[in-house]
This record gives sequence, C-alpha cells and structure tokens, in this order.
Amino acid sequence: METPTDCHIYNLTCYWTWMGLDGIARTKVKPQAEVTIKESLENSIAVNDLYINKKFPLLIDAREIKSISKEARDNFSIKNRSTNINSFAVIIESPLSRIIGNFFMGLNKPSVPAKLFNNEQDAIIWLKQYL
Amino acid sequence: MSLSEIETDSNKIRGEKILEVIMSYARLDFSEKTIISNKGDVYDAIGAGVNMLGEELKSSVVSLREKEQLLREIHHRVKNNLQIISSLLNLQTHNIKDKKFLALITESRNRINSMALIHEMLYATTDLSTIKLKDYTETLCKSIYESYRKPEMNINFFVHIPSNVFLEIDVMIHLGMILNEIISNSLKYAFEKNEGIISISLSQTGSKYYLSVEDNGKGLPIGFIREKDGNLGMQLIYMLTEQLNGTVNIEGKGGVAYQIEF
Repeated sequence: METPTDCHIYNLTCYWTWMGLDGIARTKVKPQAEVTIKESLENSIAVNDLYINKKFPLLIDAREIKSISKEARDNFSIKNRSTNINSFAVIIESPLSRIIGNFFMGLNKPSVPAKLFNNEQDAIIWLKQYL
Repeated sequence: MSLSEIETDSNKIRGEKILEVIMSYARLDFSEKTIISNKGDVYDAIGAGVNMLGEELKSSVVSLREKEQLLREIHHRVKNNLQIISSLLNLQTHNIKDKKFLALITESRNRINSMALIHEMLYATTDLSTIKLKDYTETLCKSIYESYRKPEMNINFFVHIPSNVFLEIDVMIHLGMILNEIISNSLKYAFEKNEGIISISLSQTGSKYYLSVEDNGKGLPIGFIREKDGNLGMQLIYMLTEQLNGTVNIEGKGGVAYQIEF
C-alpha cells in the first residue's frame, strides 16, 4: 500500500494513517512495528480524527508488523469504546502477519465487520460495501 | 560450516527457545515470551502465535482466579449472614420461658446452621463446589448434639460414610437438612433414658446413594401415621428427598431407621 503525497498523513509511532480519496481510511503498519496499547490508542485517535460526517471503512496494511500486545488487540477489537469506523479489512502476507491477523480475528472478535485479505484490491472491493 | 548449516543450527535454537516458552506456559508461568526476529519467517510466526496464546491463557487464568476468589467470598458472606440470622433468633429467646417457643427457635437455628455449615465448608475447599459428606455429617452431628445436649445425655454417633464421597452444593443443602431433621428427631424423641446410639451410613451403587440413619431408641409409637402424626421435620424429610428424586422408607420398631435412596 503506497503512502500518498497529496493528502495529510498522520505519521505515528507504528503507523502511517490517512483518509483515501475514495472515502476509505488507510493505516499502514511501519516495518518491524511492535504495537502496544500506547501505539494502538495513538492510531485509534488518529483514525477517529478522520471523521467528517459519517462513519467509514478502514483498510489496514499489517504485512510488516512484528508483534502486537493483547491490550492493543483488545483495543482494536473495538469493544467497549466508540469508533468512527464501520468495518475494517486487514492485509496480511508473511507467515508472521498471517498468524497475527488470524489470532486477532479468532481471539479478539472485532465488534464491526472485519476480514483478512492477501491483497489490497480484494480488500478495497469488500470495504466499498460499507461506504 | 556452510551457510545452510549455520541457518539449520540457528533455527534449531529458535525452535528450542519456543518450546521452552511453551513449557513455561504449561506450568502457568507467563514471565517468558518468545523473541521475534526481524526475519518474519515461520519461526517468527510460530513464536508470535505462542506469545499471543500465552497472553490469552494468562488473561483467562487471572480471570478464573478472580472468579474463584469472588465465589469464596460469597460463600463466606452467605455463611456469615446465616450465622447472624441464627444469632438473632437466639437473642429473641432472651427472657422467654415458653418451652414450645424455645424448641421452635432451636429447630430453626439448627436448620439454618445445617446450611451455614455447607457454605463454611465450601469456601475452605479447593474446587468451591463439592463437599466431603463424611466430614460434613460428623460436624453436623456434633453441632446438633450440642444444641440439644443436657448434662445427663450420653448419645454416641457412628458415621460410616466413605471418604471419597463428595457431593455438589445443591444435593448437600437438601441432604444437610434431611440429616438435621432425622438427627434432631432422634435426639428429641428417641432416648427416654438419655442414652443411645445414632448410626449414619452411606453406600453407593452406580449413580444411586443409599443413606441409612438409625437410632436404638424407643421407636415410633404404635399406629404411627406419618401424614397424621408426623411433625414438620418429618414432612421436610419427605419433601426434600422428593426434590432429590429419591425415596424414603421408615422402620419404627426397636428404634427408628430411615433408609433414603437418592
């Protein structure tokens, strides 16, 4: 997932986050990111800040993630907290990101529609139904 | 040593490290985590999976321990509250001379105590759900005996219950009340000379239990009809046994013998 040059990007500790021109928010995990609750909250605030007048889908590129703590996973499962996203898709590829993605979906059960994908195109097609 | 040999050795070490962490999780020691390298390969994936499973297991274990502590606290409080009710009943008897009223209070207190004892024993157990029937019965006998005891009284209890019989709280509440009523009736009515024996035994066939409670007192009066002559205690014995899907059989000659199957 390419980071754009024509819009504002939140350059966070473990993520680059921005709103796509198609109305789908993006967040890309930085290489070798070790996500704890701190970085997870930082990203949640940035994502919620993208809200203008309606909830939106979110595309997460987790292909280069190194690890994510339980507290961070719990936060991303959007239980007991308000959010401006109505769905999210996670792109995974390496064995490590596949394991993390599948564990997250299985153990943390997100409260909005969420799905794992191997490529960006399929993820965007799926997310467009939530625009 | 070739590059592939070095890599094989390195992977072997990584595999062993992951195994060590799994072993520590099996011992419920969550202080270790697998180290994820920057390779993002299968070993890292397995390591990350193990780490996440460990975190979830730790969270479940902590939550389970907290619930156990809470349940223990609840049993403790129920026992305390029941004992407070029992003490309040005792206070009500202050300056009362009416023997019937005093007897009613004693009966009520014993019924409450038979339940309080279950909660007292439950919070001391490790599983918080089952009670060793033998220990409960022996303690209950002592407690009831103390409440009816007169200086000239000499009643011996013989409890023959296998040490491996543990019953759930729902069954124990009923059985405790049943035992309380039978033992109380014996102590109140059976021994005109204030001497005698009360035997309690339990056997098991398959999932069925056979409880026998016998005294060697004067027995039931001739022509005794439970529905007409039985007191509240006897009604309770039948009612509670029915709730256990059990049956009661009473023999009243040469002492009273209850055979309860449940």
